[in-house]
Amino acid sequence: MQIVLKDFTKTFDGNTVIDRMNLTVEDGEMLALLGPSGCGKSTTLFAVCGIHRVNGGQILFGDRDVSNLPSQQRNVGVVFQNYALYPHMSVFENIAFPLTVRKDSKADVDRAVRDIAELTHISELLERRPGQLSGGQQQRVALARALVRKPDVLLLDEPLANLDAKLRLEMRSEIRRIQLETGITAILVTHDQVEAMSMCERIAIMKGGKIIQIDTPKDMYSNPRTSFVAGFLGNPPISFLKGRAEAGGFVLDDGSLRLPLPVASQIPDGTDLTVGIRPEHFGRAGDVPISGKVIFAETQGRENLYDVALPDGSVLRSVQPAQDDVRAGDSVSWKLESAAALVFAEDGRRL
Amino acid sequence: MRTRSYMVGLAFMSPALVVLIGFFFLPVVLTAVFAFTNMSTSTGISGGSYVVTGNLLTALKENGVPVEIADALSKASFVVDPEGIAKARDAGTDPAFLAEIEQQLGGRTFTDERLFERELKTLQHRPRSIRDLKLAVDQFELSILNSRFTSESAARQAIATFLPSAPADTVDQIVEASYTGWTWTTANFKQLFSTSDTWRIVLNTVFYVAVTLSFTVFVGLFLAVTTFYLPAGAASAFSMLWLLPRITPIVLYAVMWKWFTWEGGFLYTAADALGLPAFNYMKGSVPTAWTIVIMVNGFIGAAFAMILFSSALKAIPVQQLWASEVDGASRWQQIRYIILPHLRWPILFVTSYQTLSLLSSYQEIWLTTNGGPGRTTTVWALESFNTALNSYTGNLQYGLGAAMALILVIVGVSLSIIYLRLFRFDELLGRPKIEF
Amino acid sequence: MTRNYSNWPIILVLLLISAPIIVMYAFLLVDTVTTSPPGSAIPNGFTLSHWRFLIDPTATGDVWGPTLTTILFTASIVLIVLGVSSTAGYALSRLNMPFRRFFLGGILVMHAFPLVTLIIGVFLVLQFVGLYNTLTGVVLVKAGLMLPFGIWIMKGFYDTVPWEIEMAGVQDGASRFTVWRRLILPQVRPGLFALALFAAIDAWGEYMLPRILAPSADFEVLSIYLNTVSDPDSTTYNFNLFKSVGLFYTLPILALYAIFRDRLMNIFGGGTKG
Repeated sequence: MQIVLKDFTKTFDGNTVIDRMNLTVEDGEMLALLGPSGCGKSTTLFAVCGIHRVNGGQILFGDRDVSNLPSQQRNVGVVFQNYALYPHMSVFENIAFPLTVRKDSKADVDRAVRDIAELTHISELLERRPGQLSGGQQQRVALARALVRKPDVLLLDEPLANLDAKLRLEMRSEIRRIQLETGITAILVTHDQVEAMSMCERIAIMKGGKIIQIDTPKDMYSNPRTSFVAGFLGNPPISFLKGRAEAGGFVLDDGSLRLPLPVASQIPDGTDLTVGIRPEHFGRAGDVPISGKVIFAETQGRENLYDVALPDGSVLRSVQPAQDDVRAGDSVSWKLESAAALVFAEDGRRL
Repeated sequence: MRTRSYMVGLAFMSPALVVLIGFFFLPVVLTAVFAFTNMSTSTGISGGSYVVTGNLLTALKENGVPVEIADALSKASFVVDPEGIAKARDAGTDPAFLAEIEQQLGGRTFTDERLFERELKTLQHRPRSIRDLKLAVDQFELSILNSRFTSESAARQAIATFLPSAPADTVDQIVEASYTGWTWTTANFKQLFSTSDTWRIVLNTVFYVAVTLSFTVFVGLFLAVTTFYLPAGAASAFSMLWLLPRITPIVLYAVMWKWFTWEGGFLYTAADALGLPAFNYMKGSVPTAWTIVIMVNGFIGAAFAMILFSSALKAIPVQQLWASEVDGASRWQQIRYIILPHLRWPILFVTSYQTLSLLSSYQEIWLTTNGGPGRTTTVWALESFNTALNSYTGNLQYGLGAAMALILVIVGVSLSIIYLRLFRFDELLGRPKIEF
Repeated sequence: MTRNYSNWPIILVLLLISAPIIVMYAFLLVDTVTTSPPGSAIPNGFTLSHWRFLIDPTATGDVWGPTLTTILFTASIVLIVLGVSSTAGYALSRLNMPFRRFFLGGILVMHAFPLVTLIIGVFLVLQFVGLYNTLTGVVLVKAGLMLPFGIWIMKGFYDTVPWEIEMAGVQDGASRFTVWRRLILPQVRPGLFALALFAAIDAWGEYMLPRILAPSADFEVLSIYLNTVSDPDSTTYNFNLFKSVGLFYTLPILALYAIFRDRLMNIFGGGTKG
């Protein structure tokens, strides 16, 4: 089922939180709403599932305008951050609840619950209470309950935030597997870019109630539209150099570094620019040599992470295969791939 | 669309609304309304009627109604009119006789029974027996004295047929005075503001509230702080003990105090054995009566204060206390500089809350000293209650009692609104997150 | 806490100020099974004769009738208070409605406001609707007067249930009523229980309302019965007999209090903490 938000507007007590937002989620697609807290991603989710009212615009499920329908009539499955399992009911009763309220026959309920339990791998937990389950198991129950009545849309609100690191990895692929197997249209709300990139076909990145960019994870990473997007995606994060345009290239403010940039040829000299360099594009290979001093070195096992201070004080980050030759305090002379540098105007726009 | 979700909310709220309107809103309105009436047992609660009694006539004569009019009202008169004829026919009087009466005497009025009788005896079809004649005479009798008129117009009409010549303002005066139901008046408030009794009761109330409140807060504080330092077992024993007065039914609690303080009771027996003055402490002297009233209420309040203070104390991070001990603070300094500052809000809360409930409480006083000896321990709420609902003379003055209660209601509502602001209760009002 | 201080002085002072309570309640227990010589408070003999009122109606009149009435009285009040508070508390905590702010403010004012002041008005209301001198009238008034407290307490308990449970319920297609009954109500069961206890203790001890609002009715609750027994002018007047009746009357409360002390503490303090 395709979901369309048309000029969606939401206000709280006269404050417009989201102003005329447009978004289309294709049938069977899993889309991430990614952004820092307070960007309006949860508000959008709550509007789609019918907890918040729409103050302007429309929400369409397929051809059906659901803007003024309460949750009960929208047929949306939701997984909440804290799972919101009903503590006084067994796992079976939890999953069966959506079916019993619409008065399905006992046999139908039983079959549906067992099918979905098999899909989510919780068949042996059906008699337990939520309090007796681990976080990952609770998550699976919440998913099963959201999916059992075959909703048109699945909404996931920070589903992995309450899990520890190992479970998070496991559930990431599990949720994706279940979504693919059911072929359901899904929206994932998260503040974690790794989650968004690894689980979703497309990412809508939000800031201050607006969608900044919608793209596939790969395009979004390599081709960010603003410095905010570039900074938000990638771990370890991108580093920025501030300087100005000069003779078709970029120079640091103190003139100590010069990068040839193809885009810079159309920019008048002296324009303030910001250049973003991802850590994997600064290291032993590249075309522009840069000297600096390692101020921070950290090993992550397979890779090492370095912060290198340039003479003017700006810092470049580098990630390299683990070696044992450089320590904090050493002076290094490494190289930068100028073709991969991202150039942004002063207002954050990509050039 | 919005209305649908409003309907759900109102449906859930409606049982409470019905009860609260019935037992809060209406009583407040009625208290306010009846404060401006002279309603009492003798006027009744529903509307009254118009009755001219002998006593009333005597009073009217003193108030300038001409003697002859008053006297005339007290006499019966005999009017030959269609109504009288009809009544006589129903009573079984000979129709021929009646026809004759109507023809001969129709429209005449007799103020003397014998005169009327004599006239009737002259008629041809008069009945043989004196008894039948008397019966016929009775049917024409019209008397205002002691007959009950349900409306003002009926009363006026009766007086007018009786005394066609009476001046209009005299009739007004009589009708007004003959009304037995309640009427609108501001006399209750005038009376309250002019009697010296009022001010004595106000002083009693202020004294009672102030002293009981201090007792409550200090004892409550003492209990909370000491039990805080005691080992858990002893602390829980004392807090259980002090909760007893709060959960014990009021009747039993009151009588236990009577047993404790009356002749033959515990204190009496003990004082007697020790050679101290022994008497009924609850009723025997003003200072002892006040002491007991304050303790009876103070013990209940202290339990309430202790619970609130204790739970506030438990919220103090224990590291703060350890730190202060390491810093060399004595226990007194610890109480003074760490514990009391933490209790500021609970103390303010208990003070506000108890002020209101003490202002209006009278159950405990009613069941113990009942305001005595004399009226020395009578407080405003008790006086209002006794005036309206518990008078020994049998005449309950609802109007005056309501006026007294209204003043308490106004004080109470104003104080509660001030407290709402003070404790910022409106911040507790979160917006419902589900908007449908 | 460190043990640098001796506790004995504190305990002594506490015992001293608690003396009236200790004496009154100790003698309440002791006097019901002992006799003492005139002019002394020290018992000198054991007897069960003060309890004869339980089987002998000539002692103080039948006690079981009033007991049954009191149970009925208390149970009705508890049911009404629970029923109305649990719906209204939910509405105030969770539902959209017009004048929501006003309702909540009103409940709070009524909660803080001393209700006995309204007794004259309540008396007049009962007169007008014809419930004066009836058990129904007294039950309704008593339940009504407890409602602001009950609603406030229940709202507090509902506030602690996570919103997500509620949201999950409506997402699962349940109506708000179903959500309330099947999902939320089970979560506030401890609150309902505490409120029921509190209401039961309060109703069981009620004296003034039956006395004033049904002075000549054909039913009698134990508080009234007890007060009649304790009338010094009555022929059966006897402090020890009275104490036995009083203890009989209070035992259920003491039992509830002893068993469920923690839950009650919570509500005694919690109702006013906001």
